[in-house]
Amino acid sequence: MNMALLRRSATYALLSLAAFISVFPFIWMALGATNKSIDIVTGRLSLGSNLLVNFRNLLAQVDLVRVFGNSFLIAIISTLLTLAVSSLAGYGFEIFRSRVRERVFQLLLLFLSIPFAALMVPLFVLISRAQLNNTFTAVILPTIASIFIIFYFRQATKAFPGDLRDAARVDGLKEWQIFLFVYLPTMRSTYAAATIIVFMGAWNNYLWPLIVLQTPENKTITLVISTLTAAYTPDYGVILLATVLATLPTLIIFFVLQRQFVQGMLGAVK
Amino acid sequence: MSSLSLKGIRKSYGSMEVIKGVDLDIEAKEFVVFVGPSGCGKSTLLRMIAGLEPITGGDLDIGGKRMNDVDPSRRGIAMVFQTYALYPHMTVRENMGFALRFAKVPRDQIDAQVNAAAKILALDPLMNRYPKELSGGQRQRVAIGRAIVRNPQVFLFDEPLSNLDAELRVHMRIEIARLHKELQTTIIYVTHDQVEAMTLADKIVVLRDGLVEQIGRPLDLYDDPANQFVAGFIGSPQMNFLPASIVEKAGDTTTVALTNHDGKRLTLPVAAGKVGDAVTVGVRAEHFGNAGSGNLDLTLAVDVAEHLGSTSYVYASAGSERVVVEREESRHESNSDQITVSISADKAYLFNAAGQRLR
Repeated sequence: MNMALLRRSATYALLSLAAFISVFPFIWMALGATNKSIDIVTGRLSLGSNLLVNFRNLLAQVDLVRVFGNSFLIAIISTLLTLAVSSLAGYGFEIFRSRVRERVFQLLLLFLSIPFAALMVPLFVLISRAQLNNTFTAVILPTIASIFIIFYFRQATKAFPGDLRDAARVDGLKEWQIFLFVYLPTMRSTYAAATIIVFMGAWNNYLWPLIVLQTPENKTITLVISTLTAAYTPDYGVILLATVLATLPTLIIFFVLQRQFVQGMLGAVK
Repeated sequence: MSSLSLKGIRKSYGSMEVIKGVDLDIEAKEFVVFVGPSGCGKSTLLRMIAGLEPITGGDLDIGGKRMNDVDPSRRGIAMVFQTYALYPHMTVRENMGFALRFAKVPRDQIDAQVNAAAKILALDPLMNRYPKELSGGQRQRVAIGRAIVRNPQVFLFDEPLSNLDAELRVHMRIEIARLHKELQTTIIYVTHDQVEAMTLADKIVVLRDGLVEQIGRPLDLYDDPANQFVAGFIGSPQMNFLPASIVEKAGDTTTVALTNHDGKRLTLPVAAGKVGDAVTVGVRAEHFGNAGSGNLDLTLAVDVAEHLGSTSYVYASAGSERVVVEREESRHESNSDQITVSISADKAYLFNAAGQRLR
C-alpha cells in the first residue's frame, strides 16, 4: 500500500517537474513582458508595472496591425491551401490503386529527409525567376504541398470506411463530391489536428520568409521580433511582449480545436 | 419479366479470376439469396451488380437494359451495407434524403418520400438523431430506409445482419421478409448464413470459388442437392457423409458397402456409378430412424448429446467417422453410451468421388 503511494507520488512529482520545465519559459515570457529590460536581465521573476510602457515602445517601433495582418494573411491562406491540396493528395494516395502508388509515396517520404537548408538556394532561384520575390505568394507556395500532411492524411484515410464511399457512389455522388460532402465532414477531427499543425508552422515560419520578404511593409511578426533583438541595446521587455503577442494566435487556435486535435491524433472517425 | 440477368459474368484481378462465369436470371419481385462460404465471390458478384466493381466479362442486364458500364446511381439499385455505411455527420433524415438531394429532386418531394419510408420502418422518432446515437438495429433500419427512399428496381443487401447480435438478427430477418412482402420489389441478398438463406429466399444461389454450384428454391436445394458441397452447406446440422464403395449394380439400384461400418451394405435407388467406385453416402441428421425402421441399422458410440428441448442432437462416432443424429421422440435414449440408428435408402444421397450427385 505504502509502496503504491510512494510510486504514485514519485510519478506525480516527475510529471509536475516536466510540466514546470515545459511551462516555465512561457511564464517567464509573460512576466518579462510586464517588466523593464533591466529587471529581466537581473532575473526578476515577478509581475512588473511596465506593461503599458513596453506596449507603447513596441507600437513606436513596429506597425503592429500591418505586421500581424501580414502574418495572419500568410498563415491563413497557407493553411487553407495546404489542407486542400495535401488532404486531397493523402486521400488519393490511399483510395486510388495504382501500380506506382507505393513507389511514388516512398519517394515522397524520402524527400522528407532532405533538410530545408539544402533546398533553400534552389528554391530562391526558382522563386526569383518566377518574379515572385518579396511577395506573399513566394512564402506560401512552397508550403502548400506538405509531405508530412499528405502522409498524415493518408494514414488517417485508412480509417475512412470504404463502405461509406461505396454508399455515396450508389447515392450518385461523383468522386469530388464524395471528397467534399462525405470525406471532409467525416474527417473533421483530422482536419482540426492538421489545421493546428499547419497554422503553427506557417505562423512561426522564419527562415524562408526572411529570405524572400525583403521590404519592411511585407515583414511578418517572426521577422520583426528578430529585428527587435538586433538593436544596439535590445529592450527585452518589448521583445518579450512582442513574443507574447505572437504566441497568442496559435495558443487560441490550439485551445479552440483542442478536443478535435486529440481525437484527430488518435485517428477517430466517428 | 426477368428483372435482372447475368450472362457469363466474370471478374478478374490481374491474372486471378474470382468470378468464373455466372449465368443467372432473377424474376421481378423475387427474393434471391447468394450464399456460400467466405471467399466464394458472393459479395464481389453483388458489388458488380451494384456497379462498385467493374465487370471483366459477360453481360449484366437490369430491367432489360445492359448495365455493365452504367454509373451505380443510374442502375436502379439501392444497396444496404454490412457496416450500414450511414454518413456520420448527417441526421437520419439527411441520410435518407441524401441521394435524392443529389438527384435534384424538389425538397417537398424528398420530404414526402423520406417520411413514407420512415413510416414503413417505424423510424419517425429517430429522424433527427445522428447515427452514433442509434443502436445497431436502428442503424440497420435507417440503412434500409435510405435504400427504400430511392425507390429502386432492385435492392441489394450485403450481409446486412452479420453485425447484429443473435436476437436482433432474428428480429431483423423477419423485418426484411415483411418488407419484401410489403414493397414487392426484387431483392438480392448476400449472406454466409444458410439459415438466413433458407428462411428469406424465394431462390437460393449457392456459390463456391466464383462458380454457381446450384440455383433453386430453398426446399429444393435441401431435398435435392446437386452435389456434396450444396448438400453439406444447406441444412443445419450439416449432412452426414459416410465413405463407401459400390459393390453391386442391378438395374436402377446400387449397393454400397460402408467403409467404417464393417462393410455393411445398403442398396440405394441410384442408377449411375459402377462397381468399385469410391462414393459417399449422405444422410441428414433428421433422417436417421429408430433401429429397424429403415434398410440398414448402424450402431454408434455416443460422444455428446445436446438437448434443445423439442429435439436432441446426438454427436456419435464409428471409429474416426463423426455422425450427428437428430432425435425427437426417442430423445431420452440419447443419454446412453450407444445408439442404434437406421438409414432408409430413399432418404440417403449418393455422391461420387468428385462430389457430384449420383442419381
